[in-house]
Amino acid sequence: MTRTIIDVHVLQTLPPSNVNRDDTGSPKTAVYGGVRRARVSSQAWKKATRTAFETTLDRDGLGVRTKRVLELIGEEITRQSSDLAEQSIELAKQIITTAGIKVSAPRQKERTVEESGYLIFLSAAQVRALAALAVESARSGQPLAKAAVRAKFGEANSIDVALFGRMVADVADLNVDAAAQVAHAISTHAVSNEFDFFTAVDDRKHGADEDAGAGMMGTVEFNSSTLYRYACLDVDQLQRNMGDTEATARAAAEFVRAFLVSMPTGKQNTFANNTVPDAVLVTVRGDQPISFVGAFEEPVTASGSAGQLSASVDALVTQAKDIHDAYGTPESSWVFGIGDKARPVEAGGERVSRDQLVDGITQAVRERLGAVR
Amino acid sequence: MTTLLLTLAAPLQSWGVASRFPVRATQDHPSKSGVIGLLAAAMGRRRTDPIEDLLGLRFGVRIDQAGALVRDFQTAHRADGASAPISERYYLGDAVFLAGLEGEASLVATLDGALRRPMFPLYLGRRACPPAGPIRAEVHDKPLRTVLETMPWRAARRIRRKDGRAEVPVDIVADADPVDDTRGDVVPALVRDVPQSFDPVRRDYGVRRVVRYRTLISNPDGARHAEPERVTDAIGGHDPFDALEA
Repeated sequence: MTRTIIDVHVLQTLPPSNVNRDDTGSPKTAVYGGVRRARVSSQAWKKATRTAFETTLDRDGLGVRTKRVLELIGEEITRQSSDLAEQSIELAKQIITTAGIKVSAPRQKERTVEESGYLIFLSAAQVRALAALAVESARSGQPLAKAAVRAKFGEANSIDVALFGRMVADVADLNVDAAAQVAHAISTHAVSNEFDFFTAVDDRKHGADEDAGAGMMGTVEFNSSTLYRYACLDVDQLQRNMGDTEATARAAAEFVRAFLVSMPTGKQNTFANNTVPDAVLVTVRGDQPISFVGAFEEPVTASGSAGQLSASVDALVTQAKDIHDAYGTPESSWVFGIGDKARPVEAGGERVSRDQLVDGITQAVRERLGAVR
Repeated sequence: MTTLLLTLAAPLQSWGVASRFPVRATQDHPSKSGVIGLLAAAMGRRRTDPIEDLLGLRFGVRIDQAGALVRDFQTAHRADGASAPISERYYLGDAVFLAGLEGEASLVATLDGALRRPMFPLYLGRRACPPAGPIRAEVHDKPLRTVLETMPWRAARRIRRKDGRAEVPVDIVADADPVDDTRGDVVPALVRDVPQSFDPVRRDYGVRRVVRYRTLISNPDGARHAEPERVTDAIGGHDPFDALEA
């Protein structure tokens, strides 16, 4: 079986900021290579990525859109319980009609199974959940509850379930294995958190007879960092979750785009740290995902006029070359970023614009999944 | 007997053996359930698939670089904005372990191949902990303990050089041997760390007996005379004594 794995490597600079803090308000950190690094947790960036979908995604284009819902759910019922294969279409019909969707005989004479009057949009996860309900009802003899069925239709946005697994789902029995893996972002260099001391003036306090004290004072912790962000996407798993090749290709490309442009919102109004990735390398591999974090195990240091970013880019390029020499070059790779900052990365792939990157990924996934498996 | 040896290194790893609910702890070394799960994932097994053939592997780890405990405070919200329970997740930052599995040569060869083309993305204990680069896997035609007790030290080169000793003490945690481990100085401990099933609806773990002991191994970057410990400022690796070296 051919495998398709997308690796996303990002170097991104943040000015003084506190995008992800712990319960004491300090920016999160971790020790790596013996020195303290800035850290942004994987769950924080996944949440940001998920939020970014809402602005970029045309939901209608993803998942399965079909009038032939009875077969779709019926096949899943059979897959879950082969002994119900005989009644699978009948059970599927009960589910669909309970949800309030009408089915009728199709126009084509040769097709005997009824269809819905309009296209129904369902993700693979929703199909599984509906089939499980039908199986449960057939086993227990309990009639289907309308509310329970409708709840399954209204389940969280399918693409994020397919990408991130269940996250915080209300339905514990909906098991979806996440297709995306996101590492905690860490700074490529050593950091120490700094404190911003602030005082706030009481606007109504004036006059010579009052003290000159502030209304309140406190500190905000922050740091600045050049982050290495890494995510990988198991496209085969994504296809199992989405159920449809075209939807998978688009979801994969959307994930990469959303992962690149997203930013956790912590202390955003205080620091306005709205940066975008400086240098990005996206690869498609057929064997295994590979993180390049080892490039920064030895922390980079700014040298002379060149900042930490350019040292980080050089370390990333070296690591990519070494990994590719040892483990084989990727099937395809793209480089994206800001001007000269991303130039050194061009050794590892073709330089593209953001739209070209999205198209390239979509195309590559289409071709690979369309291949004989 | 053949041993599969894995080098497990990453910025973060997390090997929970007894955590449920909001506090997700980690022990200080990789768990058998975590590593068996990693191998099953590499082979493309679903969580509901049987794993009996892997449970026969004898397991042991060596702590080459203990790393530091990282506590992660995590909040979560449901789609409708309601708060989910606040949780604390613990990780081992900056750690390096050797994990060995001893078994039949054919099974070990299969696992070695699976690690080169894993069917699922692999991670060190929890999904947010991808390994730093591909997991290094080697096959040795020696018993597990021999491999763990003779492999040169695999801590980061920086640490090996700094230590400078020709031999360094490391901890080994391994499945107890009913014959060898009845000596007076090691007392096997019982840990609930044998996965019976990874099926999410009936996760189940049995117990195994482990021994933990310390042994000396060679330091490839050592053999210089040992230097006294020096405290260095972590920022930029500045060492005030550097000026006096030359």
